[in-house]
Amino acid sequence: MEQLTTTVAAPRGAPKATVAGSQSEAAGSVTKRLSSELMTLMMSSSPGISAFPKSDANLFEWAGTIEGPAGTVYSGLSFKISINFPSNYPYAAPTIKFDSPCYHPNVDIVGGAICLDILQDKWSAVYSVQTILLSLQSLLGEPNNASPLNPDAANLWDKPEDFKSQVMKHYRRVDGSNA
Amino acid sequence: MASQYVREQVALKWTNGFARLNRGEPGITGLLTFTEAWILAREFLRPRDINETKPEFVLTQVKLAFELIGECKMLQSLVDEFLEEMKQQQFLITQECERFMSQYESTSDPQYIAQLVMRLQQWYQAWQPASALGTSMMASYTTAFQTHLFSILPPSFPRGFKALISVTFNLTHRASVPQWLLDVAPQVEGQRPDLSLWVAFDQLGFLDRYDSLVSGVCHEYVEEHILETCAEKWDEPMLAKVREWMANTIVPWMMMPYGRGARTSEEARSMLQAVGSRFDFHLCKTLSELRIKEIFDIIVDYPDSMGALQDLKECLQRVDDKALLVSSLRKANHKRLLHPGADTKLILSQYVSIIRCLRVIDPVGVLLFKVADPIRRYLRERQDTIRCIVASLVGDGESGDSLVDDSEPIQPLQQPQADDYTDPQWEPEPIDAGPEFRTNKPSDVISTLVSIYDSKELFVKELQVLLAQRLLAVKDGNYDKERRNIEILKIRFGEASLQVCEVMLKDMTDSRRIDQHVQAQQSSVLHPTIISKHFWPPLQTTTFDMPGQLKEIQERYSKEFVAFKPDKKLSWLPLLGTVKLEIELDDRTIEIDASPLEAAFVELFSQKDVWTLNELIDEVGGSIDRVTALRALSSLVLHEILKESPLDTFNLLNTKEDIEKYGVKGKQREVVMQEEATLPVVTVQQQQAEQMQVFWKFIEGMLKNLGTLPLDRIQQMLKFAPDYDRSIDQLGAFMEAARQEGLVNVKDGFWSLSNA
Repeated sequence: MEQLTTTVAAPRGAPKATVAGSQSEAAGSVTKRLSSELMTLMMSSSPGISAFPKSDANLFEWAGTIEGPAGTVYSGLSFKISINFPSNYPYAAPTIKFDSPCYHPNVDIVGGAICLDILQDKWSAVYSVQTILLSLQSLLGEPNNASPLNPDAANLWDKPEDFKSQVMKHYRRVDGSNA
Repeated sequence: MASQYVREQVALKWTNGFARLNRGEPGITGLLTFTEAWILAREFLRPRDINETKPEFVLTQVKLAFELIGECKMLQSLVDEFLEEMKQQQFLITQECERFMSQYESTSDPQYIAQLVMRLQQWYQAWQPASALGTSMMASYTTAFQTHLFSILPPSFPRGFKALISVTFNLTHRASVPQWLLDVAPQVEGQRPDLSLWVAFDQLGFLDRYDSLVSGVCHEYVEEHILETCAEKWDEPMLAKVREWMANTIVPWMMMPYGRGARTSEEARSMLQAVGSRFDFHLCKTLSELRIKEIFDIIVDYPDSMGALQDLKECLQRVDDKALLVSSLRKANHKRLLHPGADTKLILSQYVSIIRCLRVIDPVGVLLFKVADPIRRYLRERQDTIRCIVASLVGDGESGDSLVDDSEPIQPLQQPQADDYTDPQWEPEPIDAGPEFRTNKPSDVISTLVSIYDSKELFVKELQVLLAQRLLAVKDGNYDKERRNIEILKIRFGEASLQVCEVMLKDMTDSRRIDQHVQAQQSSVLHPTIISKHFWPPLQTTTFDMPGQLKEIQERYSKEFVAFKPDKKLSWLPLLGTVKLEIELDDRTIEIDASPLEAAFVELFSQKDVWTLNELIDEVGGSIDRVTALRALSSLVLHEILKESPLDTFNLLNTKEDIEKYGVKGKQREVVMQEEATLPVVTVQQQQAEQMQVFWKFIEGMLKNLGTLPLDRIQQMLKFAPDYDRSIDQLGAFMEAARQEGLVNVKDGFWSLSNA
């Protein structure tokens, strides 16, 4: 096992030594972390959640897809989100917003901003893209009506029929091709 | 009504003309003598039938007459008159010509042509005006005579003429001279028998008119000789021999049409030089075309065909046939080599021969580059190419002849190098090199083979698999051969690439050491090979539980091992290895070398005598499938330990009577027996297929989140995937396969998921 680590580490260590600033060194380790998170996400095949970098040049901007969990008003719908990672990730939470309009107590229907504790003060470096996506998915079915971004939706939550019709009114299919 | 002026002019001309003819003689006596002279000259010149006797003339009188006519400036008129008369007499020649030609046409014997030629020469000489009349007179006579002659010769004449010329080739030996030629052509002592014939040809203008025909006959003759003597004779250079033959046979003949007038041999040489080099060119051309036609077989015969290659090399320097060589070799390769029927090993060895042969012909490698391209492309498509190359690298002894010449020094792989322009020995690329030509420095064959692929990593991977197979197959603990191979390969591929192989080899020796230690603590019949999982290619991981005493042995060993190496865990690969079994039945004892699975089954049969297939599979558990189980069982059936009856139920044959009871010749199941034993190592292709699964997840992820993407973007984005090393073409093929399975759609070059 010792031999293995030395052989693997050697080539990765070499380019690092040539990089001057600690900034870029940090960026390198963030990239590494994000790559491994991507790998984990790709191989995990959790149903209903998915994300991928928007371009091969920038690993800090991802696009994601969340499918509404079954048994909720969002069942069968899927929402696009965008994820922006800060340069000091994972020590700071990524910025996440809904790209497709989502009628939900904790989501700003216009800007797509999300009110979720783990994305703000409860953030921890042990979270990953996968856990965030799973949290968002469960947030859809279990909103936190105590701190709503969309008070109308919070008030309507108790009337599922009306809520559903509001959701459908605002909902837009994600993929342009089938619209 | 003519005007005064015209009348005066006519009168003047008349007096002038009269004065010229009368030469100032009194009265018309001058005119009379002129008339006499004119008549005499005409009589003398008149073209007669040569079968009649020509009247005698007093030459001095004739000469005077010509002088007189010349004085009166009337020679031209005389010539015109003569030519006119000749025209009227020409029917005589026509008659004779027709006579000979009809004889020739009915017999096709060239002797009639020879007779005709000699006869025509007689006519020509008989009618020839005296040389005193001047060269212009001679020239117009010859032209007139030849014009007529050529106009009457029938179309069959050139054929006959050709036949006659062919005859003259074989006149080197007196004995071979046909009698008719001696009769027809006057012989000159010390000269070739056909000399007078050639003189006649020349006089009659045949040599000029049929020049291409004469050389054509010679060309054909040369071609015939080359095809006869050189075809499929490749072991020695033939060019020198053919040239010698040419000097001995053709050159003396060439003296006749081209160098007759030569007085000294020096003069003859200069006369023959131009035509001689033309013939030499033709010789080279013929030989090179022959060799090019045979090139594929010449290469097959290499190195026994070295002579032919030398010939070809020399000829190509003189004849520009390289393009032909390239195209015909490419065609031959396409037809005979690059098809599914040819074994990869054969293709490789032929490719190596092509390399060696074309290096002989063209050391710079332009030809090779042009020819090799399709072969390399084809080899790249073949799946087992790498394996074949690697097998020959490690000298897989089975096939006998290795691609690599043992005498070649082992050297590191050569990478294509950029030109070093500071090198004083630098030479520009040859003029016939194509735009993509890479100066292929004469490197060793292995480097060339490895360079078929873009990276040598593929080779190292395949090498690892092969090495794993070979190491696991070694039974006697003698790894010297493998060690030697690895050392050789280290020189070629570099130390770093082969580190993994080194570890694998070390595992083998370490295993023995560990085993010795464990045996010292507690002796066991089990001698495991302990390998470091990370450094070995993936092995068959099918697992099952060893039953009974076998399990105990395993566990005891594991315990000892953990005690010895507390930081390591021993996980068994139960499908690999062999078990030496001694099976004691009621009336006999059978010794077999069995696979572990077979041993497990035998162990189970010691518990009870009858098992069904499903029971057995359940009992060993793990991931044993039906086919594997059946294969193990059928091997036991073959050893007459078990008997299958009825289907899927196996009985232990405890006694000989049992064998008879169940009847060996009873209905036998056609067991799925594969000739090839399953390899213990997962092949590179399987590994690649597994890798592609990972890449597919990434493709799925990006298409789901980013919508539609063009192929090159997918290729770009896949760099996020670990160890992605496919080319865009491979990706394209993969996507196409995915499309056919209905996983993705493509529209205008943009790919999207089907279920999106």
